[in-house]
Amino acid sequence: MEQQKVKFSIVVSGAPYGTQSGSSAYQFCAAALSAGHQIVGVFFYQEGVLNASQLVSPASDEINLPTLWAALAGEFQFPLEVCVSAALRRGIIDQQEAVQLGLTQFNLQAPFVLSGLGQLAELSANCDRLVQF
Amino acid sequence: MAEKKVGVINSSAPHGRANGRESLDLALAMSAFNESLSLFFIDDGVYQLLGRQDPGEILQKHYQPLFKMLALYDVENIYVCVRSLQARGLTTEMLVVEVEAINKEQLQQQLNLQDQLLSF
Repeated sequence: MEQQKVKFSIVVSGAPYGTQSGSSAYQFCAAALSAGHQIVGVFFYQEGVLNASQLVSPASDEINLPTLWAALAGEFQFPLEVCVSAALRRGIIDQQEAVQLGLTQFNLQAPFVLSGLGQLAELSANCDRLVQF
Repeated sequence: MAEKKVGVINSSAPHGRANGRESLDLALAMSAFNESLSLFFIDDGVYQLLGRQDPGEILQKHYQPLFKMLALYDVENIYVCVRSLQARGLTTEMLVVEVEAINKEQLQQQLNLQDQLLSF
């Protein structure tokens, strides 16, 4: 019997380092994809927005989670949505917001994008299973 | 396809972490897209609804007035664990929004009815 393909949407609420949240979410996504399931999208909320920082710089023999997310999303073509209000409060900012706010720096790693909680509602509506980490 | 029933579980105290505020932000935003939201307040989460807070004193935003927006946004399913209230010496009259106080069995039933749960 052919295995049923499940559409997952993922919510990441924890930072890339200091909690297991982001790592578990990443491993869950990678495992689901390799088993033939679909990731509709990943929504980064609360401390999860820190997963989108291109300034995350662990030691060279350690895991760089933002880079792993970017590679997985690129390979399997699913969106990495970062809640804009949670992100700005935590110093995660893209070029457009930086210009608007008169800041000289930005640090959002592509292909992460800043988006609103409405995107979470969409991910919730369009999946079979919503999983929060 | 029927709209998914989304439950938001609040078990954190109102301050100390941003869980309460970010959960409320999420609920208010999602209510524009989903009319089947339910909010659950359990454990220390019940303190989020207790009136007369002044978190400016600890450099935090007083987000509690935003709970009043839930009614305006037609979020009417607000459940509070009666055991959590009792354990903290609280009653529903002390809370800033109208809630349904439910016991453990009712809480389990309501949580079982949800298609998706988010926890803060």
